[in-house]
Amino acid sequence: MSGHGFLLANYVPGNSLLHRAPLWLKFLLVVGCGMASFLIVDWAVAAAVLAVMCALFLLSGAGVARLYRAVRPVLPVLAAIGLFQWWQLGGPTAARIVLNVLVCIVAASILTATTPVQRLLDGVASLAKPFQRFGADPERFALTIAIMLRSIPFIAGAYSDVRDSARARGLERNPRALILPVFITTVAFARQTGDALAARGLGEHETEEHAPPSTPAAGHAHSRA
Amino acid sequence: MSTIALERVAVRVAVDGRPAPKTLLAELSLRLTEQRIGIIGANGSGKSTLLRLLNGLVVPSSGTVTVDQWDTVRSVREVRRRVGFVFTDPLSQLVMPTGREDVELSLRRSVRNARERSRQAEATLDRFGLLPLADQSIYELSGGERQLLALAAVLAVDPEVLVLDEPSTLLDLRNRELLRRTLAGLSQQVILSTHDLDLALDLDRVLVVDAGTVVFDGGPAAAVAHYRALCAAGIPAAGAAADAALPHLANPHPGQL
Repeated sequence: MSGHGFLLANYVPGNSLLHRAPLWLKFLLVVGCGMASFLIVDWAVAAAVLAVMCALFLLSGAGVARLYRAVRPVLPVLAAIGLFQWWQLGGPTAARIVLNVLVCIVAASILTATTPVQRLLDGVASLAKPFQRFGADPERFALTIAIMLRSIPFIAGAYSDVRDSARARGLERNPRALILPVFITTVAFARQTGDALAARGLGEHETEEHAPPSTPAAGHAHSRA
Repeated sequence: MSTIALERVAVRVAVDGRPAPKTLLAELSLRLTEQRIGIIGANGSGKSTLLRLLNGLVVPSSGTVTVDQWDTVRSVREVRRRVGFVFTDPLSQLVMPTGREDVELSLRRSVRNARERSRQAEATLDRFGLLPLADQSIYELSGGERQLLALAAVLAVDPEVLVLDEPSTLLDLRNRELLRRTLAGLSQQVILSTHDLDLALDLDRVLVVDAGTVVFDGGPAAAVAHYRALCAAGIPAAGAAADAALPHLANPHPGQL
């Protein structure tokens, strides 16, 4: 399927300040930007923060093209949100909302572009360790993040494929021809991913344990013809 | 070599609008002990269902499946440690963006130390000649490289049995040959389904499945011959097929000049 190849700011090997920064600091940056998106009320401040985030991203050496690829999938959605908010609440509010969402995306991209996925998963598993006392499995938290990183570009790619198919059949204006196949593809993908993880024994509960029977099973009839 | 035993196993599924469940696999008993076993048969004949029983991806409606005495339902975790599974489409199996990360993901459960995990992942990739491609996006790899990577990710945890569901279906001739050679060099017990009859001829034992039933079980040459005969018997002659589909064409047209 076309379009499944792009990933939101894939890891870029490097030795920049951001690559060397501790993981907790980068986590903090993402969380901070997420919280700031609720607190910033002026679109000019949001634009300034976005400029700083973009500068940080470029400082990592990941490049403008990769930055564009990171935000490109959400641009149509942001355009729709922006237009709706402009109609409902006016230009400054629409600009603030759109810019705040972009701040969050670029901040998350800084984290994923400068941190190898395995290190990210180790970090998530460490963060989730305190929940172990309540019966949670930290590895499952890490696996959830891994699946999320894999699934977002897949769903974006599925939408792109379905849109192309709808166009080819002259159905690009039919919402049912766009939404329903994406929904079905996504459910099928979820089932496939579940099967693949299960087959590899990933995400299974570590406490499950059963002893084999003490004697070998006997008396098997063969179906040899 | 592991012993996989299926005892009076059947798989049925409920289908909307049908009073009786549909039988995917009729009751069968098997004992799989050979090193290389193949399953051949038409699309929808039950090959994948049979393979998926072997590592607990499909639960039997009746009967039991055991791998070295471990029950695939009650001891699924132990079974999956022993039985690796490779899917037809490697993209549905590879979870991480790059090969290195995917192999490391496989190792997360068994190797806690990050540095050791990385070392083992590199060794596995190197074994399959994939180290130069380790950091490339899985989408940038060719079909053959992806299939090899899927195989490497499963073999990284060193299972005793390797189950492959039509591993060569999406591959071109060159990559099929590469896969064939790779499988021939493995020490694991290999059980695979395939439409590639040349690959089937390499195996020690081949089962022919038709409409949810094992209709032949024996040596590869005899099994392939049986399957060919089965296919030939199931295809109507070209003229007869056209007559059946378009009966009016068989009648002479009165014509008018």
